[in-house]
Amino acid sequence: MDKSRRLFILLAMLVLVGIVFIIRLFFLQIVDTSNYYKAQAYGSNDITIYPARGTIVDRYGKLMVYNDAVYDLMVVPQKAKDFDKMALCHELMLDTNEFNKRLKKASKYNPREPSVIYKNLPFHLYTRLQEVLYQYPAFYIETKIDRRYNINGAAHLLGYMGEVTEKQLEQDKYYKPGDTKGITGIEKSYEVYLRGHKGKKVVLVDKFSKTQGSFAGGKFDSLPFAGDNIISSIDLDLQVFGEKLLANKIGSIVAIEPSTGEVLSIVNSPNYDPNLLVGQRRNKNFAALLLDPIKPLFNRALKAPYPPGSTFKTIQALIGMQEGVLTPDTKYPCSGGYHMGSITVGCHAHGSPLDLKNSITKSCNAYYCFVYRSILDNPKYPSVQDAYVKWTQYLNSFGIGTLTGIDLPEESKGIVKKPSYFEREFGKNWRSSNVISMSIGQGQIGLTPLQMANMACIIGNRGYFYTPHVVRSIGDKHMVPTAFAQRHYCMVNKMYFDTVVAGMANVCIPGGTAGHTGIPGITICAKTGTAQNPHGKDHSIFIAFAPRENPQIAICVIVENGGFGADYAAPIANLMIERYLSKNRGLPSAKPDMLNRMLKANLVGSSAKDSLQSKIGD
Amino acid sequence: MEEKLHIDWLTVILYILIVIFGAINIYSANSGVEEALKLDFSKEYGKQILFIGVSAVIVFLILLTDFKFFNFSAYGIYILIIGLLMVLLATGSFNKGAQAWFKIGSFKLQPSEFAKYATALALSKFLGTFDISFEGRRNVLIALSIIGFPMLLTLLQNDTGSALVFTCFILVLFREGLSGWWLVLVMYMVTLFVLTILLPSISIIITLAVLSVLVVYLARKKQQLFWLAIIVFVSSSVYILSLDYVFARILKPHQQQRILVTLNQDVDEYYVKKSKGFSIFKFKKAEVTDKKESKRDYSYNVRQSKISIGAGRWTGNGFNNGTQTKAKLVPEQHTDFIFCTVGEEYGFLGSTLFVLVYLLLIGRVYYLAERQKNEFSRVFGYSTASILFFHFFINIGMAIGLLPVIGIPLPFMSYGGSSLISFSMLLFTFLKLDANRVNEISRLY
Repeated sequence: MDKSRRLFILLAMLVLVGIVFIIRLFFLQIVDTSNYYKAQAYGSNDITIYPARGTIVDRYGKLMVYNDAVYDLMVVPQKAKDFDKMALCHELMLDTNEFNKRLKKASKYNPREPSVIYKNLPFHLYTRLQEVLYQYPAFYIETKIDRRYNINGAAHLLGYMGEVTEKQLEQDKYYKPGDTKGITGIEKSYEVYLRGHKGKKVVLVDKFSKTQGSFAGGKFDSLPFAGDNIISSIDLDLQVFGEKLLANKIGSIVAIEPSTGEVLSIVNSPNYDPNLLVGQRRNKNFAALLLDPIKPLFNRALKAPYPPGSTFKTIQALIGMQEGVLTPDTKYPCSGGYHMGSITVGCHAHGSPLDLKNSITKSCNAYYCFVYRSILDNPKYPSVQDAYVKWTQYLNSFGIGTLTGIDLPEESKGIVKKPSYFEREFGKNWRSSNVISMSIGQGQIGLTPLQMANMACIIGNRGYFYTPHVVRSIGDKHMVPTAFAQRHYCMVNKMYFDTVVAGMANVCIPGGTAGHTGIPGITICAKTGTAQNPHGKDHSIFIAFAPRENPQIAICVIVENGGFGADYAAPIANLMIERYLSKNRGLPSAKPDMLNRMLKANLVGSSAKDSLQSKIGD
Repeated sequence: MEEKLHIDWLTVILYILIVIFGAINIYSANSGVEEALKLDFSKEYGKQILFIGVSAVIVFLILLTDFKFFNFSAYGIYILIIGLLMVLLATGSFNKGAQAWFKIGSFKLQPSEFAKYATALALSKFLGTFDISFEGRRNVLIALSIIGFPMLLTLLQNDTGSALVFTCFILVLFREGLSGWWLVLVMYMVTLFVLTILLPSISIIITLAVLSVLVVYLARKKQQLFWLAIIVFVSSSVYILSLDYVFARILKPHQQQRILVTLNQDVDEYYVKKSKGFSIFKFKKAEVTDKKESKRDYSYNVRQSKISIGAGRWTGNGFNNGTQTKAKLVPEQHTDFIFCTVGEEYGFLGSTLFVLVYLLLIGRVYYLAERQKNEFSRVFGYSTASILFFHFFINIGMAIGLLPVIGIPLPFMSYGGSSLISFSMLLFTFLKLDANRVNEISRLY
């Protein structure tokens, strides 16, 4: 072979190598896109920029909840190697074991993603760490926001924030470990509006995780969008006033604007300071609140079903009239109560017989035993059971035995039994006499304070209600959920309300069951209730709305073990109404003695309150 | 009439393009992310510019030198470099485990880079002097010794990569008459090497036995082939077994891993296979307890390199915009992995163009070498092209994950004074010889 021909063999090798290389490059750069995506993940580090969480203001724009910056120490576990652990633990004033435990947990979640290793750095640690952190490239400080509350009450209403759980992390990709979200109250139900959109800054990091600058010229960066501010329907002044009135008592106040369904205040007692559940002391305080025997975390207003007592008579009367078994002129006798065989439902002393209007004003028990029996024994229905089912449908239309749909989590339906329950209790052919105690709101029926306040709204509106809600509008565009603008009519015709309202209008004037509690100059339509309580003294219950025409406020007050409705619940409700209706909040009450008596009343005893305070640190 | 410099301008232009492109890429791999464009001579790209200046001066001096000088002093230079390599071995300043540098001030001189140049000169002189072809066994042995001696010295410095470069001279010998069977033999051995590592050696030997029996049966009338088959089978088996032994028992774990990573093997899985009797020799496993850690370390370079090249896509991120490059994620990116920068910042189109330009340069040198009228120039030209080709093949093959990580620079591109200067000397010495050929011709007319 001519040796010079061998040149072509060599050149052929060159060409072959060129072709192989170019094919390989084509595969690496064009076909296999995984490298491209890996490149974005490897050399970069996502730093989350947390948006400001939306603030919450009351109906007049007074700030209730706002933000404060807190600092978390973050770690990317995979990169946390070859660093002076002892020195870092020393800086953090943290036990090495505890540090290792946290690091392991973060690594278990995701070794490549940043996780919180020290939550809520105290300010002195934050400033010191900033100077030394460059020695620990796997660690960085993330600025987050924490909530601050302008009031030391309304905790159940506003809610608190907490760290997302592992389950929530899976469900909602918005969150990453260490993030917080609303756990209860408005914080929870409006979480998606309040949280805003996180921003992202992608920084270029070298193999030592040292930040080299902005990644790809900021191509992948995004700005955070602040969460929407929320205008609550709460009247902060009224709320605080209610909390003062209910201090040292156990119970609940719910006030609603009947013409809109906007909740004006939700007061629970015992309550707690929402500022206890922020920052570093959160976990400690939360445990203390959870274990407290008086259950300060319990949201009575939405979750506790109380027997409505005599307040229920208003509903019974309305249903009776709608069913045609009762007219405003129907009179029933009362001889110290209702007697039927062995059953006696006692009543207090009043004139007899009474018509419908006066039966409400005087709160005659016997009257409503007759009414309820005529409803259930209505020959229109084949059986008591059928009549009972119809009756529960009426109740449901009043928002009783169903969820009201309030925009707060953890609402309870209350208690309305199904007929099957009574079949089990009293046999298949149970009779109206078996359930006679329900005629006056005792026994197998339970309403939450919210449902009772809503009931007052319906009566005030003469037949309809709006879904109660605590938020007026969301964000700069003042968005309003459309569900809250829709009227819900109850099954009772408008015309039947007048008699009931007339009866209620006389309750707070002398001669009525709460005659001494009225406020001069305001027509308060109300109904007292005294719920028998197997565990102790009766609960004092009161529902009301005012003024009589176009009511601006409907209210329900329950004071546990407060005795007669007129003893505590009525004065508190009427003082609330007075406070709300008087445009100038600074004016002294027309009933200063009553106000003082309520403020000073202590039905709890000092021990419980003290024990709570001693457990909670600041 | 004044003698004109009949230098091959195409080669010069390609050379200048590649050198400038190299400096640009070193700048990209070397400077910070949000750094303003500027010249800083304390940084590598700055130094590279100084090296380019030095190279230019040396190139100029070479072009001024009489062409006879190279032929005349070839052995002298060769002996000088061999001496330097031996001195280095004896005194050797330690660096990265390889004794490969002389420290001169703040610069390090790497004689092994110049050893290729010296070997090329000496080989050209030897083959040119006798006008030999490879019939005489003695001449083959001398030629192989000229190549083998510096290769051995480089290997002793632990600079395996540079030592391997000397195998490229086999291409030169091939052109000068070495039987093509040698190339076939080398390829056969490489194939067996890969198979031995990937498959149980016993099954390869059995397969070879079956093939041999087949050949013997088919060629039962030709006794010569019968013996050839026997010889091939026996020597192959011995080769396979010794390879297996060397790989399992003699190579250090990190060397094993380097080879495995290139062959796309999961190192952990491989060890498990090996420990289950995959190899007939007891396997010397990594003493590193954390296997994942060690795996990451040895596959890290290749993986990062592939990622940054892959990140380029069609057109790349553009000059100074490679995210992987800027993040300094590829180790040794400004030296041995400089091609990553090309891949990431100029994409598939840029890389392909670069590969083509580079191959054009090598091909041009081969072409020029073939047209030389005297043996010395031709052998030197072939040596030059083959050295460049080998470097190019190994370096880019490694960067795109086709070949093992063998740390040798990409000529004219990689950062490094010794490398740039020695390759420039190599290329321009040949261009000077080539220019002289043209002068000789022009004088005839």
